[in-house]
Amino acid sequence: MSVDTTAAPTRRSSSVGQSVRRVEDGRLLQGQGVFSDDVYMRRQGFVHFVRSPYAHARIVSVDVSRAERMDGVYATLTGEEVQELCEPFPQIAPEPGGRLRDYPLAVGKARFVGDPVAAVLAETRELARDAAEAVEVVYEPLPAVVDALAAVAEGAPVLHEEIGANVGYQDTYEWGDVGWALEHADHVVEIDRLHFHRFSSTPLECNAAVVDWDRGTGVVEVRSNNQMPQFAAMFIAPTIGIPVSKMHFISQDIGGAFGLKVTSYPAIAACMLLSRKAGRPAKWTEYRSEHVAASGHGNERTFTDIRVPVMSDGTILGFDAKAHDDCGAFMRYEPLGGVIWAQVAPGCYKLKHLRLEYTAVLTNKCPVAPNRGYSRLQHLWMIERVVDLVAHELGFDPVELRKRNYPQADEYPYETPNGCIYDSGDLPRMLDLALDLADYAGWRERQAATAGSGRRIGIGIGSTLDSGTNNFGQARLINKDLPFSGNGEAAIVKLDLHGEIAVNLGSSPQGQGHETTAAQTVADVLGVDPVEIQVKPGYDTASHAYVAFSGTYASQFAVTGLGAAQGAAERLAAEIRLVAATVLGVEQDEIELEGGFARVRGDLERAIPFQGIANYVYANVAALPPEVADRVSLTCRYVYRPPFEIPDVDSKRGELTLTYAAQIHLAVVAIDEATGRTEILEYVAIDDCGRRINPQIVEGQVHGAAAHGIGAALHEAFVYDQASGQLLSGNFYDYHAATALDVPLMLTGEIESPSPRTPNGAKGMGEGGGAPLGTLCAALQDALGPGGATVTDTHNPSERVWRLLHRSDEASRAVRVASRS
Amino acid sequence: MSEPETTHLVRTTINDEPYERVVQARQLLVHFIRDTLALKGTHIGCDTGNCGACTVLYDGQPIKSCMMLAVQADGASIETVESLSQPGGELDELQRAFNDQHAVQCGWCTPGMLMQAKALLERDGDPDVETIRRTLKGNLCRCTGYVNIVRAIQDAAGQPVTAGTRPEDRA
Amino acid sequence: MLVKQLTYARPESLAEAIDLLAAHTGTRPLAGGQSIVNVLKLRAAEVDGLVDISRLAELRTIALEGDALAIGAGVRYAELAADALIGDRHRKVAEVADGTVDVQVRNRGTLGGNVCFNDPTSNFPPLLVALGATIRIVGPAGSREVAAEDFFLGPFRCDLGVGELVHSVLLAPLAAGAGVGYQTLQIARDSWALARAAAWVRYDGTIRDARVVVACLGPKPARQPRIEAALVGTDGSEDAVAAAVAEPVEDVDAVGDSHASAEYRLQMARAQAALAVREALEQAGGTP
Repeated sequence: MSVDTTAAPTRRSSSVGQSVRRVEDGRLLQGQGVFSDDVYMRRQGFVHFVRSPYAHARIVSVDVSRAERMDGVYATLTGEEVQELCEPFPQIAPEPGGRLRDYPLAVGKARFVGDPVAAVLAETRELARDAAEAVEVVYEPLPAVVDALAAVAEGAPVLHEEIGANVGYQDTYEWGDVGWALEHADHVVEIDRLHFHRFSSTPLECNAAVVDWDRGTGVVEVRSNNQMPQFAAMFIAPTIGIPVSKMHFISQDIGGAFGLKVTSYPAIAACMLLSRKAGRPAKWTEYRSEHVAASGHGNERTFTDIRVPVMSDGTILGFDAKAHDDCGAFMRYEPLGGVIWAQVAPGCYKLKHLRLEYTAVLTNKCPVAPNRGYSRLQHLWMIERVVDLVAHELGFDPVELRKRNYPQADEYPYETPNGCIYDSGDLPRMLDLALDLADYAGWRERQAATAGSGRRIGIGIGSTLDSGTNNFGQARLINKDLPFSGNGEAAIVKLDLHGEIAVNLGSSPQGQGHETTAAQTVADVLGVDPVEIQVKPGYDTASHAYVAFSGTYASQFAVTGLGAAQGAAERLAAEIRLVAATVLGVEQDEIELEGGFARVRGDLERAIPFQGIANYVYANVAALPPEVADRVSLTCRYVYRPPFEIPDVDSKRGELTLTYAAQIHLAVVAIDEATGRTEILEYVAIDDCGRRINPQIVEGQVHGAAAHGIGAALHEAFVYDQASGQLLSGNFYDYHAATALDVPLMLTGEIESPSPRTPNGAKGMGEGGGAPLGTLCAALQDALGPGGATVTDTHNPSERVWRLLHRSDEASRAVRVASRS
Repeated sequence: MSEPETTHLVRTTINDEPYERVVQARQLLVHFIRDTLALKGTHIGCDTGNCGACTVLYDGQPIKSCMMLAVQADGASIETVESLSQPGGELDELQRAFNDQHAVQCGWCTPGMLMQAKALLERDGDPDVETIRRTLKGNLCRCTGYVNIVRAIQDAAGQPVTAGTRPEDRA
Repeated sequence: MLVKQLTYARPESLAEAIDLLAAHTGTRPLAGGQSIVNVLKLRAAEVDGLVDISRLAELRTIALEGDALAIGAGVRYAELAADALIGDRHRKVAEVADGTVDVQVRNRGTLGGNVCFNDPTSNFPPLLVALGATIRIVGPAGSREVAAEDFFLGPFRCDLGVGELVHSVLLAPLAAGAGVGYQTLQIARDSWALARAAAWVRYDGTIRDARVVVACLGPKPARQPRIEAALVGTDGSEDAVAAAVAEPVEDVDAVGDSHASAEYRLQMARAQAALAVREALEQAGGTP
């Protein structure tokens, strides 16, 4: 068994850690990506949804007869039909919230502006649009409620009669001894209200699906951009009554998602029903105004009755607060938000005594989706605001106060009061880096020089965490009957017939470069260059490995996806070594993989190329001893499983996430006193996501997350009319998505605190943590100065800043300090 | 096209290739490009002409193809992202720069960005950073935060890549 | 985002265009399309058809008529921004054109379209009123001229009858000692306007004449005669301007919406007016 080698393989350097150029770019730069709206199916019809113009209304009647008579209309679908055909979607919430009935179309009532009440399938987009206008819906408008606190007040209109109130979920979380802390603290800072506003990441590509219910096989093919297809499948299956195994989800390229393409399953289900009814594929492409009104918003959260015990030396003992989380009209990924904030319960700080009374509220607004930073963003902002206000009120230096209360570098792994483990980090060092990169001292001088000029400079710091890789067992803290726990992601790595290395993943990437980083990971294990690795683009349930948690969300791919790829590659490497060792007559541990060869260490002439290994297993099997042939397939599936246990439901303690990336931002703003206009003069972002698999990709995520935060802080908000429930910012005309002029050319820096808990030392970091929200609030607060009004809202456009500047009376100072004498 | 009709015969050139099609007056140019001609590189990101994902070159000038009717393409020469490189061929210099500077994440805004950048560099071969940012104002991106796109255009212009770096860190 | 069924025609001459618009009263002119196509996509209004005037050479000239500048209604923002005559004689027009929305809109949108659309937050109407512009209109009955101040009737409404088109905008030269100022407060960096003010002054150490116009505060750009009267005869100092701008703002109907309250808009209009007057004074010959 000798093999001819024509060239001695050379040692190559590690690919992980390098800014390898993205393989996805080749097709995307040529406009050759395959996105859902690019998909064409023979005989397809186009879908248009008829949507409620009312925030709350009884649906008296839906008459599709005129639409059906129009030329080119293939089928229609109404809520009444849907109710007959479907069970309501499964609900995550326990009783009574879980009694809520959610269907693919509105049944009985419309509960938000944009709620789909009927659908039309027609020959062209234009005809579908015209036919939708011919559908006659009679509504009986009902009073609407679009404020969470108003929705839980006496006499509020009730959205879901099955629940009887507008509370989807409610519980109190408490660790340590808040009562003791409040009693024994030197000071208690009281903050009446902090408000996290409603906005979203608005991916540039809206939701889309081409759905074909095959009459012959009963298989439903779904070419959609849903970012968590298995979650969608598990919700659709019992609703429509088809097995998950008969749903075939395929996606290749997705134009951004940021959590908002998790909850598209109701629309996909409606398309399935249309396709089955019409006997042809149903093609749906969401319009921007539909996306803005009716797909998913980020959670709006109002914190009230906040009390913060602080010692004279600046140690912050904890907090006591109430949170009302506005979920909109339905709970789709909710009320998981009710526990997910607990992943970062004390925020970036060593707070020991925490109490939060959390209420998930239903209102006549767009249902929420797990928007970038989901539920942690809101909580982390609240804590950062608290720390900033403590500094202001009690006269602490904002830098020193933070450093005092951060865990110190030698305190990691750090266990939080509710049993989460902050795996690694060094926040004080990151803060110092930010101050240095921004020239903090210089800006303080410039700030002093502008005093009285009509233009005020403010400097603000924001700290945040990006908790990644969920333990889905936390769902049991919401609803103990949910059979979920742990997490996982799957991958297959194989040698193809000629020894080519091919990979497929359970993730559904939307621009994060998974093909590239997976190639880097697998390349390092198998000893080749990443260009030798073919990662199958996108996701396909027929051929890709997956588990229930598969998808791309929640800042976990670097850990779970790459962990799966690494594990599968290691299995393949072991098989290759076994075959090579058998053929070359050596022990397996004498075989190394390098440059596409399996070779004997120290005897480089004795080598078999991967093509030879494949040949033995696929085409030359009688040449292998049977006991070896039985053990190798060269197609290796691996599921990465983080080492989680089920959290304790009673104490609400446990490890809720595996990794904690961090970001610290610093902003310098200039405010024009006459108008309240805010300009960003300098912006710095420091990140720590453990081992950086591809530094350029990491930096790109830092930029993008910061842009979302800056946009939300200054420009972006979903505004509803309080009386009518109409969404006033209904498309990109009024919802100002941040442009290239709005996002500063920020400076970035980094440290790497490898995670001791992950296969590669990396941490998920794609969501970012929303640091700009706290950073810009702190910068504004700094500009307002001592005795100035209190910044209590995440959203501070010109008019709000102008009012903060000019209304410095006690009413606008929503903070009080009670001190023990 | 002197008489008001709901359909017209349109003769247009797209990426140097002549086309003759009967189109509905109501059809938007972007749908003509994507659906009728199956050139899927040009994208739609909004309803109101704000996002620029549909940007193509019309007689050499960047325009939003969602804000034009297909019938207006008659007699015009249009370039879309598919014109930048040959099938099976290499990426051009601008595309190479976008790849080098990691200016692409999800790829939805990318075709519009490329056509905008191409036209900019033809107008002004040495644009300063503020000019680049201003030029990109009509092209939204929700993934990159724009920094790397500015870097890519500096790179393609043969300039030192300075966007988002401190003066003292620049080569 | 899809347009309803409609007709389209592209006449070869201005006369043909007028005939078509007059004969098919449910049709409207299509110039740059940056507003009307949006309106049709959003279904905020309906038309039976569009008459494409965007290529008519008769509407696309920039020339002197005597010493007045005649700008064709079909001239695009990008062309206005780059034109030497405009840059020379009415630099503010070139600046405002250059700042309109974005590159793509500037490559198609026209001065005539801007003027006819009369979006209350739009940029040219208040400037043209401050400059004392004249709008030349052509139609079935021939040609007529209207002062800009009288042309803008209300939101999205202007003094055009059936079959009529704006032909050109006429601007008298800026005399010696005249200055123009234009200030805007926008959402974000360079997005929709919350308050606009345009000012024209004649100044030689004393303000001899003034036109002050505020916009975004109601249905149309509004001249401010009380502010103007308070300015005339003063030395144009910072105090004099501040005192003048404190006069009540007239002929406005400020409305609150998702971007700003009525109160803020009103206050900001004042602030922009003061800045615009000071800018005009500086151009006219220096601020005292």
